[in-house]
Amino acid sequence: MPDQTSNGMHCNEFDLLITDALDGVLTGIALERFQAHARSCRACGPLLAEAEAGRNWLKGLIEVEPPASLVASILASTTGVDSQRLRVPVRAVQPRISRLEHVQGSISGFFEPIWGMVRQPRFAMSFGMAFFALSVGLTVAGVKPTDLAQISLRPAAIRLTYYRTQARVVHYYENVRIVYEVESLARQVKRNVEPAEPGLRNTRPAKQKDDKNDTTQQPEQKQERNYSQSESQVILAAAPVGPSVNDLPVVSVTTYRRFV
Amino acid sequence: MEDVQVVAMLVRRCIAGDAAAWEEIVQTYNRRIYNICYRFAGSGDDAEDLTQEVFIKMYRTLPSYDHTKGAFVTWVTTITRNLLVDHFRKTKQDRVTDSMDTVAGEHEDAQPLSEQIQDQSAPPDAHVRSREVSETVHAALAKLSPELREAVILRDLQDMDYREIASVLKVPEGTVKSRINRGRAELARLLQRTYRQVM
Repeated sequence: MPDQTSNGMHCNEFDLLITDALDGVLTGIALERFQAHARSCRACGPLLAEAEAGRNWLKGLIEVEPPASLVASILASTTGVDSQRLRVPVRAVQPRISRLEHVQGSISGFFEPIWGMVRQPRFAMSFGMAFFALSVGLTVAGVKPTDLAQISLRPAAIRLTYYRTQARVVHYYENVRIVYEVESLARQVKRNVEPAEPGLRNTRPAKQKDDKNDTTQQPEQKQERNYSQSESQVILAAAPVGPSVNDLPVVSVTTYRRFV
Repeated sequence: MEDVQVVAMLVRRCIAGDAAAWEEIVQTYNRRIYNICYRFAGSGDDAEDLTQEVFIKMYRTLPSYDHTKGAFVTWVTTITRNLLVDHFRKTKQDRVTDSMDTVAGEHEDAQPLSEQIQDQSAPPDAHVRSREVSETVHAALAKLSPELREAVILRDLQDMDYREIASVLKVPEGTVKSRINRGRAELARLLQRTYRQVM
């Protein structure tokens, strides 16, 4: 609504006085000012006419009758909703229970939370999945339900079953091709690494026990160490390590053959 | 409208567990609450359900009523209004009518609204007498925005005074009067359009 002043009255003031005017509580000078503003203001005049028309439409509306069953349904619903509030707490007489019933009650009280958890759908789903996985595993392993009936639970039978199963597993393992190939390759490598005379290998440890000063098992570089050379001295690869042939002394040998 | 002492006694009896007192309260106020719900929701079935919800809530919260803070009918109407607002939010009824402050579009008549109102061939009271007209007014009322609708329902259909309406709607009295004026005016515009189309 535009805030205009007409005949000494603002439109906002006029808006607030419309209800009083329609209710008939506006009298005297205030009513004259109000009517004058309604006649002169192009926005407030139509608003007054519309408001009066709308009020007349609404006043003509008759009150509707609620359904006949409404009260009964309200009473039923309210009584059902909060029946505990109206109920007087009465201490009921406890019936006598036997010792057996007491124990049963204790057991059921202990298992009730567990049973409540078991009855939950997610637990049932987990159990179902576990059972499915177990049955698939047994099927793949070749276990048949008919075999279960033939199982003997005697200790000797269980021990025998254990050894048979172990042997079967070992047999299966050794017959796997890749295992067999790897083992044969390992044997071949070992055979190539070992010395040619197998007898020497067997006698050496006994000798080693007797002769503690034997240094043959030590690395060869220690045996060939040149004590006159320092370790920092450079040794050329092309240079002869030992004395040359020219440096060697000439030895002449005379052989006298005796003729018999 | 209501004797404060009688109602306060009735409420006390009801809180104490007197079923007859509660039944008396239901008998006294069910018609009023049903009419508010019917005019606001627009549907008889919705009104019945909402009226039941109002009484259920009232039954639960009856101990919280304090007769020194206001009349019992205002308290009941406040509960009803709050439930209606919740119902409106749930159903997401869109506002159909235009605000009075909006500028008229191209499809609007160039004729001033006051002249449109004056074009009525018969006074509104004559139309409302018939059942069809009553239904038309009811349908037009349902097209008002909820703020305007609740204000005119409480004033023109429930005859509540402005102070009580302001207490129920939790707005100042000036706002209440402004909403009532705008609601009445928009209703008149809607009905004017309807009858112009019929004629």
